[in-house]
Amino acid sequence: MNVVIASSSIDGGIGCWDLQTGAEQLRYKTCASPPHGLASIGSSFLACSQLRDPSATSGHVLYWSWSKPQAQVKSFPAEPIKPIAANSEGSYIVGGGSSGDIYFWEVATGRLLKKWHAHYRAVTCLVFSEDDSLLISGSEDGCVRVWSLFMIFDDVRQQQASHLYEYSFTEHTLRVTDIAMGYGGGNAIIVSASEDRTCKVWSLSRGRLLRNVVFPSIIDAIAIDSGEHVFYAGGRDGKIYIAALNAESSPSNNYGLHIIGSLTDQSKPVTCMAYSAEGNLLLSGSEDGMIRVWDMKTKNIVRMFRHSKGPVNNILIVRLSYPLNRSESKVQASSRRHEFSLHPPLEKYANSSDEDIDNKTIITLPDTIDLPSYLSSQLINDHIKQLQQQGSSAAAEMEVKRLKLDGQRSMEMFQQLKKVYDNLQEFCVNELLDGQPMDGSKGN
Amino acid sequence: MAKLDQFENMYDVGSKPPMLRNLIRHYLPAANHPRDLNTSCFELPKLVSVLQTHRLLSESDSHSVDPKLINAWKSAVDDWLGCLLSLLSSDMSDKCWVGICLLGVTCQECSNQRFLTSYSVWLDNLLSHIQPPSDSQLVKIASCTSLSDLLTRLARFFEVKKDANSLAGKLIQPVLKLLNEDNVEAVWEGAASLLYTLITFFPASIHHSYDKVEAAIASKILSGKFSTITLKKLGYCLALLPKSKGDKDSWSLMMQKILISINDHLNEAFQGVEEEAKYDEARRLLVTPGKDLPSPLGGHTSLEGGSYNRTSSERLPTATISTLMFCCCKMLTSSYPVQVSAPVRSILALVERLLRVDGSLPPTMLPFMTSLQRELMCSELPVLHAYSLELLIAVIKGMRRQLLPHSAYVVRVVTRYFKICALPELRIKLYSVIRMLLLSMGVGMAIYLAPDVIDNAFSDLNSPAGEDFEISPANTGPALLQPSNRKRKHGTKTGSMEKQGASPKVGESNTHQTTPITVKIAAVDSLELLLTVGAASKSDSWRSSIDSLLLRTAINSCKRGWGNVENNVFLPHEPASVWADFQLSSLRALLASFLAPARVRPPYLSQGLELFRRGKQEAGTTLAQFCGYALFSLEVLIHPRALPLDDFHPAYHNPTDGASNRFPENTYSGSQKQNSLFLSAAQRTEEGAIKSHDDDLYNKWLENENNAFKDMRDTSRPNDSSLANVLEVSEQEPAAANADLHMRGEDEIVVQPRRLEEPIPKSQEIVSANADTSRPAVGTNLEGGQIESKKVLSASDRLNDIDHDMLSGVDKANFDTVGRKTSSTLPNVEKGSSSMTHLESESSMDSFPNIVDADPDTDSDSD
Repeated sequence: MNVVIASSSIDGGIGCWDLQTGAEQLRYKTCASPPHGLASIGSSFLACSQLRDPSATSGHVLYWSWSKPQAQVKSFPAEPIKPIAANSEGSYIVGGGSSGDIYFWEVATGRLLKKWHAHYRAVTCLVFSEDDSLLISGSEDGCVRVWSLFMIFDDVRQQQASHLYEYSFTEHTLRVTDIAMGYGGGNAIIVSASEDRTCKVWSLSRGRLLRNVVFPSIIDAIAIDSGEHVFYAGGRDGKIYIAALNAESSPSNNYGLHIIGSLTDQSKPVTCMAYSAEGNLLLSGSEDGMIRVWDMKTKNIVRMFRHSKGPVNNILIVRLSYPLNRSESKVQASSRRHEFSLHPPLEKYANSSDEDIDNKTIITLPDTIDLPSYLSSQLINDHIKQLQQQGSSAAAEMEVKRLKLDGQRSMEMFQQLKKVYDNLQEFCVNELLDGQPMDGSKGN
Repeated sequence: MAKLDQFENMYDVGSKPPMLRNLIRHYLPAANHPRDLNTSCFELPKLVSVLQTHRLLSESDSHSVDPKLINAWKSAVDDWLGCLLSLLSSDMSDKCWVGICLLGVTCQECSNQRFLTSYSVWLDNLLSHIQPPSDSQLVKIASCTSLSDLLTRLARFFEVKKDANSLAGKLIQPVLKLLNEDNVEAVWEGAASLLYTLITFFPASIHHSYDKVEAAIASKILSGKFSTITLKKLGYCLALLPKSKGDKDSWSLMMQKILISINDHLNEAFQGVEEEAKYDEARRLLVTPGKDLPSPLGGHTSLEGGSYNRTSSERLPTATISTLMFCCCKMLTSSYPVQVSAPVRSILALVERLLRVDGSLPPTMLPFMTSLQRELMCSELPVLHAYSLELLIAVIKGMRRQLLPHSAYVVRVVTRYFKICALPELRIKLYSVIRMLLLSMGVGMAIYLAPDVIDNAFSDLNSPAGEDFEISPANTGPALLQPSNRKRKHGTKTGSMEKQGASPKVGESNTHQTTPITVKIAAVDSLELLLTVGAASKSDSWRSSIDSLLLRTAINSCKRGWGNVENNVFLPHEPASVWADFQLSSLRALLASFLAPARVRPPYLSQGLELFRRGKQEAGTTLAQFCGYALFSLEVLIHPRALPLDDFHPAYHNPTDGASNRFPENTYSGSQKQNSLFLSAAQRTEEGAIKSHDDDLYNKWLENENNAFKDMRDTSRPNDSSLANVLEVSEQEPAAANADLHMRGEDEIVVQPRRLEEPIPKSQEIVSANADTSRPAVGTNLEGGQIESKKVLSASDRLNDIDHDMLSGVDKANFDTVGRKTSSTLPNVEKGSSSMTHLESESSMDSFPNIVDADPDTDSDSD
C-alpha cells in the first residue's frame, strides 16, 4: 500500500492519503514542519521536525506511530533542526541544525552518535544515498557536500584527512533548496536546486559539475524520473519544468537550454514534489495547500488532495507493508502486529557516560527462515548404509542383538535338552538303582 | 489380484491401493516372523521411494471421487498402519526400527485427516521408544527423527496449536534424559535435532525447563570431546534456546554467558602468549563494573565442566571454544521476535583478541609455556582464527547498516590481519569478510577499503598457482599481453606506481611461494565486487592496473582449455571443477571491469570479447551461459544508447586527467572548478556544437581508432601538451578570485538584496536565443582545440578581472552563468565584454521579484 503523506508550514497536521484510491487516511495532529522536515523512519513511524516559534532558540522533533493521530514522542535537540532524513532501514536519523551542524542519532536508543560541523550556514536539506553509505547535505550558503558515513565514524582517518567531506560543491551561490539523488550507487548523479535559479547536476563518481540548467524562476523542489530521462523542477512561478538529463533537448525552446517543457495549472508556487515510479506519477505540493497528482505519461492532473490552507512543504510517498485503515479495529489489529515500540526521544548531547549502553547496539536480527525439514527417509538411507557397511558399529550392534537373541534361544534349547537329559539320566539311574538295590548297597 | 485389470496405467488412481498392499506384503517384515531382516531391511529405501513417488499414502486424488476406490485406499492405508504399529511393538529391535522409520515417513506423507486423527497415538508410541526400557541406540535415534518429523507436520496445523504445545511439552523430559544419561554420541545427535525442531516450532514448550536444557547442552559443549557435527548441532540448539522465552533479556543474557565462557577458556589457554591486561580488558567490556556477574553458562563454572581440566595442560579446548563461537554466530544471524541489544564491542574485541594471538611470545613476558605446549597451540590456532572470522561475518550480517559506528574498527582489524595472514583457508575467509563489508556498507566503505583489497589481490593473483605452474605470469601468452603491457607503460603514472608498490608486498605478505587456486578465486571475486560497488568513486589511481590484472588473470585461466564442471563422477573433488570455478570467476571479474563506470573506454575490450566468444562456444556449460550473457551486456558498451549528460565533458576529459594527479580529487576548491568550468564550457562548444548528441564513448571510438587513446593519455604528462599548460595557467590564475569568493562566503547573501535595486528588464529568452544562434558559428570556425581554449581562457581571465573591478557584488551564480554564456555566445573577448551587461541583467532580473522572500534569514523566520 502506497500512501502519500504531506505536511505544511502552518499547523494543518500531517495528511495521509492512499495513492491508489485517493482515500484520506488518518491525519496526524499538530505538525508545522519546515521544508524537508518530514521523514518516514524505515516505514515504521513518522518523524517531523517542528518550528513553532521563529524566535525560539530550540525546536523539537516529533514522532507519530502510523496508527495514532497524536504525536507520541517529543525530542528537544540542542538547536533548531530543520531538515531530517532517515536511512532506509530506519536505524538512524540525521538532522541539520541552523548552525550548520549535522546531528546523527541512533533511533533505537535515541543516542546522539555524532555531531559535526558541516556548513557555515544552516543546513537546508539532507539526503541519504541509495546504499545509505553517503549523506548529501545542502546549505544556506549554497554549498552541497557529500559525506561518507564511514569516514564520519572513523576517528583515526579523520585525523589524517584534511577535511571530513568527500566532495564539496560550491558552485551554487545562494541557498540550496532541494537535492535529489539518482540511481547507480557510486556512479549516481545528484541534482541540486538553489535560489540562484539554477539546478545543477553533479557526478558523484567524478565529484564535479556535469550540467547547469538555468530556470526562469527559483526552483524549490526537484524530483528525478526513475529512468533518469528527465528531472522535474517545481518553480516559484507555479510551473513544473521538465529538464533533460539523458533526454534529447532541442536547442530552441521557450525556457532555456535543457528545459524541455513545463506543466502548469495556473497555481501558486510549487513547494515540494515526489515521484512515484509505480504508475509514473508526479506529486506536487503547492502554496495553495493542494497536492496535485500528475500522470507523467499524459501530463494531466489525475487527482488532487486538499491538505490545508497553508503551503504544503513536504510530500513523501511511503510504501507500507500492511494496510492503514481508518476503522479502529483494524488499526488496532495491525498496530498490534507491527508493534510500535516507543522509541526513546533523541538525545540533546552526546554523552558516553553509560559505557554499558555504549558497548551495545540494539538490533533487529535478520529475518532468516531456517526451518527443520523431514528427516526420516534420509535417516533410513543413512542407517541402511551403515548396516551395509558391515564393520560399522550400528551393524555390529544389530548383529549382536540378533546373536544375543539366538544365543538366548539356544540357551533355552540347551536348558530344555539338558532338562530332558537330566530327567532321562535320573530315570535311568533310578531304574538301575531300583533293579539292583542289593548290588548297589553292597557296592557302596 | 482381481483389481489389477481395473486400472489403465501408472497414473491411474486405481493402481494405488493394490500397489500399497503389494508393498506391505513384499517389503514389510512380519512382526511375528523371526528373521527376515536381511531380505527386507536393505530394500527399505526402495520402498520409501515408491511410496513417495506414487504418493501412496495420500489417500486423495483430485481426479477421482469414486467412493469404492477411496474405501479401498483407506483400508489399504489402515493395513499399512496396523502393520507399522505391530512392528513398533515388536521386541526385536530391528523390526522396531523399521516400524519407527516408516512411521516417520508416514507422518510426512499421509493425508491431513489421518494425521490429525492419529498423531497423538503415534506420538505416544514413539515416545515409549526413547524412554528407559528401550536400549538399542538405533531405535532411539530413529524415534527422535520420527518424532521430529511428526512435530514438523504438526506445526502446520494452527487449529491444534494448543494441544500440540502440550504434547511437545511431554517430550522435553525424555529428551533431556537422553542428553543427560545416555552415553552414545549418535543418540545425542538425534536428541539435538529433535530439540531443534521443538525450539523452532514449539518454543513455548521449553519455557519451563529452560535452565535444565541449557545445563544439559552446556555440559556437553563444555566437555568438548565429541565430533564437530554433534557439537555444532548442540550449539545451534543453545543459540536458539532464548527463542523459547522470546524476550530481550534472555537473548542478551545467553550471549553474555557464552562470551564470558569463551573468554574464560581463552584466558586459560592463552596464558603465556598474551599479556595479562587483555584479560581484564575483555572482562571489562563484558561485565559492567558494579553489575552482577551472570550465573555461568549452564550453571557450571565453565572450567570445571567435563573433562576439560584433565587435558588443559596439553592442548587448547578448541572444540569448546569453536562451538561457543558458532553459537554466537547463530545467535546473531537467526531471527528473533523482538529487538535485542547486542554487545557488539565485546564481540569485536573477542575477534580482535583471537586474531592477534599468533603463537609468538610477547617481548615482555617470561617464557611460561613449554615448547610442546606452544607447538600444540599453534597447530590449533588456525581453527580458532577461522571461527573468529566466521564470527566477524556473522556480526556484519546481523548488524547490517548498524555496524556503521564500528565499521572503522572492523576495517582496521581486517586490514591488520590481512597483512599477517598466510594460510589459504584463512585468506579465503578474509576475502569473504571483505566482500560482506563491501556489500553491506556500500560505496562509502569501498572508497576506503579499496587500497587494501587491491594490494592483497595483486599479491595473490600475481603469485604462481600451486596446482599448476602453467599459469605463472612468466608463461602468459606474449602475443596477447604485449600491447597491454606497452599501454600500461604509457598509461597513467598512478597505474605503474601501483604496480611497483604492490610487487614488493608479494614477498612479505605471502610466505608461501604459490597461491592455491581457491585463494585466487576469492581474490578475483573480491575484485569483482569492489569494481561493481566502488569503481565509480575515486578509482582513478587503481583502475587501470586492476583492469590489466583482471585481463591477465582471465587469459591465464582460459589458457589451459575449459574446465569441465559436470564430468566428475569419479572424483568428487576433481580439480577440474575448481578450475572451472576459477575461469568463471575471472571472466565475471573481467566483465565487471568492462562494465564498471570509467572515464575512458575499456582498454582491453577486444581481448575480452575474444575470450567471451571462445567461452560461448563451449555449449552447455555454465561458462558458456555466462559468456553469452557477457557478450549480451557488452553490446550496450559497443553501441551506446544513452545520451551524454555531461555538458563539460572534453575539458575534464583531457587535461584534468593530469590535473587530478596533481590535485587530489576531493581538494578541489570551488573556484578551481569554476575555472575549469570556463575551460570545459569553451571546449564543449568546439565539439559539442557539432555533434552534441553523440555519446562520448562513441566519439572517442571514432577519434581514437588509430591509437589516439594512448596519445590522449600522454597529454596528462605535464611536459607535452599545451592544453595541460593552459590548464596550469588557469589553475594558478584564479587564486585571487578564489580568495575573494571565500571571503565573501559568509556575507554574499547579505550583499544580494542590495543589488536587486537595479531595475533591469531583459528577458532570458532573448539571451538564450542569442546563445543558440552564435553557437554554430563557434563550432565551424574552430580547428585547433588548444588555441581556442586559450582564447576562451583569456576571455575568462578578463572576465575574472571584470568581475573584480566592475561587478564586485556579483555573486557566484552570475559568475557561473556568465561563464557558461560567455563560452557559448562569445568566442572572443570583445563580444564578451559587450554582452556582459546582458548577462548580468538577465540573471539579476530573474532573482529580483522573488529574492525578498527567498532571503535565507527572513525565510527561516517566516516559517
